[in-house]
Amino acid sequence: MLKLRLPLSTKLIFAFSLVIVIGVSISTIVGIRLIGNTILRQAQDKVRLDLNSAWEVYNAESEAIKTKIRMTANRFFIKEALIGNNLAELSSELQKVRRDEELDILTLVDTRGVVLVRTRDLKAFGDRSTDGIVDWVLINQKPVVSTQIVPESVLLREGEDLARRARIDMLPTPKSRPRDETVETAGMVIKAAAPVHDHTGALLGVLYGANLLNRNYAIVDRVKDIVYKGEQYDELDIGTATIFQDDLRISTNVMTIDGKRAIGTRVSEEVYDRVMRQGIPWVGRAFVVNAWYITAYAPIKNIHGERVGILYVGMLEAPYIDLRSRVVFIFLGIAVASVLLLSVIAYFTTARISGPIRELRNATRKVADGDLKHRLQITSRDEIGELSESFNRMTVALQKATDNYQALTRTLEEKVKEKTEELSAAQDFLVQSEKLASLGKLAAGIAHEINNPLTSILINSHLLLERTDKGDQSANNLQLIIDETTRCSAIVRGLLEFARQTPPEMTLVDINEVIKSTLLIMDTQALVHKVKVVKKLTKDLQHVMVDVNKIKQVFTNIVLNALDAMPEGGVLEIASSVSGENKEIKITFRDSGRGIPKENVTRIFDPFFTTKGTNGTGLGLSISYGIIQQHRGAIDVESEVGVGTTMAVRLPLYPITGDEKEETRDREV
Amino acid sequence: MTEKFKVLVVDDELPVCKSIASALTSKEYLIDTALSGEEALELQEKKHYDAIIIDLMMPGISGLELLKKVKKNRPDTMMIMITGYPSIRTAVESIKIGAFDYIPKPFTPNEIRSIVTRALTRKRVTQKKVEESRFLEDMPVPEGLYTIPNNSWAKVEDDGSVLVGVHHMLLVTIAKIAAIEFPKVNETRYQGETCVRIVESSERLHRLWTPVTGKITAINTKVQDDYSVLYKDPYVKGWLVQLTPTNLDVDLKNLLVT
Repeated sequence: MLKLRLPLSTKLIFAFSLVIVIGVSISTIVGIRLIGNTILRQAQDKVRLDLNSAWEVYNAESEAIKTKIRMTANRFFIKEALIGNNLAELSSELQKVRRDEELDILTLVDTRGVVLVRTRDLKAFGDRSTDGIVDWVLINQKPVVSTQIVPESVLLREGEDLARRARIDMLPTPKSRPRDETVETAGMVIKAAAPVHDHTGALLGVLYGANLLNRNYAIVDRVKDIVYKGEQYDELDIGTATIFQDDLRISTNVMTIDGKRAIGTRVSEEVYDRVMRQGIPWVGRAFVVNAWYITAYAPIKNIHGERVGILYVGMLEAPYIDLRSRVVFIFLGIAVASVLLLSVIAYFTTARISGPIRELRNATRKVADGDLKHRLQITSRDEIGELSESFNRMTVALQKATDNYQALTRTLEEKVKEKTEELSAAQDFLVQSEKLASLGKLAAGIAHEINNPLTSILINSHLLLERTDKGDQSANNLQLIIDETTRCSAIVRGLLEFARQTPPEMTLVDINEVIKSTLLIMDTQALVHKVKVVKKLTKDLQHVMVDVNKIKQVFTNIVLNALDAMPEGGVLEIASSVSGENKEIKITFRDSGRGIPKENVTRIFDPFFTTKGTNGTGLGLSISYGIIQQHRGAIDVESEVGVGTTMAVRLPLYPITGDEKEETRDREV
Repeated sequence: MTEKFKVLVVDDELPVCKSIASALTSKEYLIDTALSGEEALELQEKKHYDAIIIDLMMPGISGLELLKKVKKNRPDTMMIMITGYPSIRTAVESIKIGAFDYIPKPFTPNEIRSIVTRALTRKRVTQKKVEESRFLEDMPVPEGLYTIPNNSWAKVEDDGSVLVGVHHMLLVTIAKIAAIEFPKVNETRYQGETCVRIVESSERLHRLWTPVTGKITAINTKVQDDYSVLYKDPYVKGWLVQLTPTNLDVDLKNLLVT
């Protein structure tokens, strides 16, 4: 799977952003819901209260009718007229009352319920009232008021215009319950009835009055005025009220699109089921005619407690929705601002976290690349700070370990180098020794073999010479033989000395001491030669491993040669120093003698080369050369005729063999 | 007529034997020669030699073995070692065992005659306590000297130089000194090599071996002027030459310490 390589800061910012977005979204959604619901709940609570107010208005209307009827029933002229059976006067008086009290119906019946005066149609009387209210008053002899459904036949009897007013064509309404009828002929009235007693209290009859609610907008408009004070929103009344007869809107101030009262439309089946069928008030959103309202519905009951209609109040939802939208908008604004603010905080926090981590990563890379000296700056006291500190500790430890390791490796390398040099030195020494040993054996053999014949020659030539006269030519010849034989003998002796095998005795010494002790012996000689000896010795030189006697022999040889080179006197300067990057000690002998001709410079170390004639064997410098070679050193010669000769002896500062080195160490320890 | 000295020459090389015999041929000596140690042992059983000249390097019985055996049989026989390999160590070793002196090859007739004479004189001194022994015979060698017995001594001075002188027993065994041939200053002398020649009045030549290799730096002019100093004080005032040693420590190991 391909893994996207994202920087830590991006991941952190992403994570932060995710948290912020989720957090803000949840709080926004919850907040909006909460606020929206609160607004709606408050709206609903208000509607519930408004419904109560509407009920007050409705009941007040009912009570007003009831009071009117009760007062009228108690009026004296009705009792008098009834007692005196003066119906004509009663009719005219009651007609006046109906007009004065603005009642749609005002009818008087006798104790059997037979109509005596029908104020709306004086000619129509004598029929038996079928109204439940009249019967109730006849029995209970108390005033009462109630909402009643009145069928068309009854309406027609009370007044033809009332039946016309009550007749409402049903308009097709979505969501309403299906009904077969297309027109409502019955009307819904608020009807009050009161008993009429004589002075003794005997029942004379019952007076009842009613107002038809169909197309009567007094109640709904009063509700609107009282509760909503006629406020409008987008040219729509915020508050509306309606009276339903069953499910039909018979009195309302809910308007249709064309601005007419929405008479004839019906309530939705959902509301109808709840309110009419189950008798439970409804509070909630509802689509009323052409807009969403927050509504409350409650059933209207008749005197028998039967549900005959619905009282409705509703507030236009739009202001609340808009309010909620504004709140949501503000909320979203706050959320967006929060996201931005949190993002900025997250960015800086991330930077604070990822910065040191990035540095840590860079430091890790540097360490991986071998830069163990890199240290992190600790800027915080948190886990990253601790990590940085741990990292620093780790690199310190790592560096220490690496240093140790390198030191160990270096030591090891040096040791290997040392050992190799020692081995090579030892091998060279061995080879040299073997060569010298072979040469020594050879020389010894030669000496032995040659000396025997030389002995014979020498003795016999001497014997011959003894017998020869001194002036004789043969005597000279014999003397020549004797001289040459003697010279042969000297050469053989020199050869033996050259090849002489003496085991080296290596000791660690201060070369200055060796020079001084050599010069001590030579001082007399130098005086004899009128040579001034100047010492330029470097103090505290590292000790060298040498065979002191052999080195003394070399120095003596060189000094004696120098003195020989200055028969008329001169200066011999002897200096010691460290050279060759502390790898060797250099001892120079500079004389102001006659110098060595160029052609001889390369030959002075050759065995038997001498410029001293019979005074030298020509082996002194050869032996010296051999000794210095045994010490793995060198002798350099610089010479100029008439100016002087400089001989430089260089001796290495490392020991010649391993064994002796160990001894030296033990001693040092 | 006095009895002749019986001398045996032992060398594995016939020419050398003959040459030495020729050199020594005189009225005083009866000379036999032997070409091997075995032969020499046989001869010395039959005859009681006064002196035997023995080559150190011989096949079969070596010179040193022969020296030991003869020394056991005939302690009074003077033995002179000759060697073609003038290693002072072997020579000193042979003197420690009982040889009178040694002489490196090659040598002249005079030299061999002188050393034989000296040996025989020494023998006589020991046997008869002759007058010639004078006062020197019982003289002890001072302490701290390095010697080649019967021949020379060396003394290391505080300044590192070495004084060389003559062993008193050499003086005892030679006649009056006629001349002393000193080496030249600046000459180098190797250990075991001739350092000084002492010439007797009888013209016999005696070699004084160089005890320590070195360059001659001075000679004792007082002795040069008056040889009697030697007899009076051979170990202090009678030093002969001074030299600068070049290989002192090694050389000293080959010498006898008193």
